[in-house]
Amino acid sequence: MLRYSLRRIVLLIVTLWLLSLLIFSLNYWYPGNAVTNMTGISASNPLAYQEVYVARGFEDGIVTQYGEFIRHLLQGDWGLSLVTQQPVFAEIKPLLGATIELGLLAMFLAMVLGIPLGVYAAVQQRGPMDRIVMGVSLSAYSIPVFWLAQLFILLFAVKLGWSPISGQINPLYAIETQTGSILIDIWLSDSQFKTAAFYDALNHLWVPVIVLAMMPLTMLIRIMRNAVLDVLQQNYIKAARARGLSDSTIMFRHTLPNAMQPVVRQLGLQFSVLMTNIVITEVIFNWPGLGSWLVKSIYERDFPVIQAGLLILASLILLVNLFVDLLHAWRYPQVRKEIDAE
Amino acid sequence: MSNILDIRNLTIELETSAGVVKVLDKLSLQLAEGEIHTLVGESGSGKSLLAKAIMGFINPRWKITADRLWWRHYDLLALNPVQRRLVTGRDMAMIFQNPGSYLDPNTKVGEQLRETIPQSELKGIYLRRKATRTVRAERLLHRVGIKDTAKVMNSYPQQLSEGIAQKVSIAMAIAHNPKLLIADEPTTAMEPNTRNQIYRLLAKLSASQGMSILMITQDLTAIIPETQRMSLVYCGQLMETGPTEKLMSEPFHPYTDAMLKMSFFNQDVAPKTRLPTLTGAIPTLQHMPIGCRLGPRCPNARRACIHQPRLSKVKQHQFACHFPLIEIVHHD
Repeated sequence: MLRYSLRRIVLLIVTLWLLSLLIFSLNYWYPGNAVTNMTGISASNPLAYQEVYVARGFEDGIVTQYGEFIRHLLQGDWGLSLVTQQPVFAEIKPLLGATIELGLLAMFLAMVLGIPLGVYAAVQQRGPMDRIVMGVSLSAYSIPVFWLAQLFILLFAVKLGWSPISGQINPLYAIETQTGSILIDIWLSDSQFKTAAFYDALNHLWVPVIVLAMMPLTMLIRIMRNAVLDVLQQNYIKAARARGLSDSTIMFRHTLPNAMQPVVRQLGLQFSVLMTNIVITEVIFNWPGLGSWLVKSIYERDFPVIQAGLLILASLILLVNLFVDLLHAWRYPQVRKEIDAE
Repeated sequence: MSNILDIRNLTIELETSAGVVKVLDKLSLQLAEGEIHTLVGESGSGKSLLAKAIMGFINPRWKITADRLWWRHYDLLALNPVQRRLVTGRDMAMIFQNPGSYLDPNTKVGEQLRETIPQSELKGIYLRRKATRTVRAERLLHRVGIKDTAKVMNSYPQQLSEGIAQKVSIAMAIAHNPKLLIADEPTTAMEPNTRNQIYRLLAKLSASQGMSILMITQDLTAIIPETQRMSLVYCGQLMETGPTEKLMSEPFHPYTDAMLKMSFFNQDVAPKTRLPTLTGAIPTLQHMPIGCRLGPRCPNARRACIHQPRLSKVKQHQFACHFPLIEIVHHD
């Protein structure tokens, strides 16, 4: 297990290194000046430009430039945004908070609904409820996120008026941004309208969360159903019945833990899908997260920001996948056996 | 000794595209209390199906009929599923081939053992019950001859050898003190040393607790030495049943005779001669011969064999054959 973890971590480092190489090369492939693309400081400001020109190693060869690039990256000096002329690294933190909040809530909702529904469909196999659950989940799976989001806005915000059309919170509450996660920020703030702000934030939150949760939810239902059906046919379940264990004991102590195994493995993959969808959702709901920031920067040709957004999103996906794989191997001895046998 | 398990003319039918197939055809079996009974049959003979029918694991689409399927004073076919599971869960237990696959791969062995211990035998509050469970689980492992209990309880099933895993299954099976243990080829694919250990353990448990054992095996070489009675099944029909020594020394049925000859008990086969076998192969389910299903392969088959023979009885020895190998002297 330790060897496996080390191997995975080394693999992660290698992947991150390749990622850094790609992002470094992008600076030269983008239109314009590589120094400007990297730092966000244009030649129209000769003093500052000359300074970063030297600091980024442009007087020497490409190897020195890459070394300086990595050094600045690790120091948190990710350049300035071409548009706002603000340090990119400082901008990222609240954006990341907002994105993670949205993603976590969606993932949580998908798991809370998806796992029981999948189990239910499996237990009712071939019954009417199974067909309904599977039919609805397949239909929902087939709807693209950008369209679903607009349908929901039309229905819940425009027609029914249950929720605002977009945004994170009503700006009148003047919640100071600290972590970026709106619920945590409200909790940390000293506003006298905390409760009202909290409800307002929830009101803004639920539509994008449902939209975002739809894809992983429908996937989870189907994976969970198949996993439970598979486990129910295993010999050890039959043997547990033969031993006279009660149905609930068999379900909660043997069927579910074993059925979760393929689900846990899928969670990592689902996270990548979620990250793709979160970009779309944030743009549509005007959510101040990494995704909408990245898309906006692409429109504005804000190269330092594009780099930072790519780096953060890609690293996040890599990290989560590593974490899920380690969790998977740690929790399930069978997986460890396979790893050892490799 | 009274029979605790009484099966008369058990028939299991399966509807296939080729029509209704009788997987078990009028099978009868009696098991006395504390007896070790060995059921011998080749693959496809329906011996495992019989075990499942007793335990009540048959797919509901299969049709089960029987003149009697009695367990002690319960008519198993008349019970509803809940009652039946209560009775079988309390009185019966089963161990299997490939014991590893019958243990939950993601739960430690100790945990699985602990949960098998019946709730009714525990007293006190939660923590006390938990402690009792552990003690009882260790005692069970001791009883099946596992000394290093802590190590075994802390292992996952895949970390155990098949022999140990089978012992753990037996420990789980006897946690309820069942009256009947069905062992479905428990030692197939095990080396002789482990096999003998398991056999000795089963015989000991049967003797010390009065537990009946229905042992299911493929061939006559793999039987418990202590077995008191044996039954031979071929393609879902009972061929012969009787006390072990009688059946081995004076078989009435040509099938028993053939099985004995095939089993290398007699080593006096001349070199470079054909080994004794039955001609032909086991028929498939869709193409079962009518009458005695051994018919096409039987060396003694005659015209009468297209009718299924009734069970004839000579003392404790029963067989289903029109033309037994030994003349029966009728005392009427």
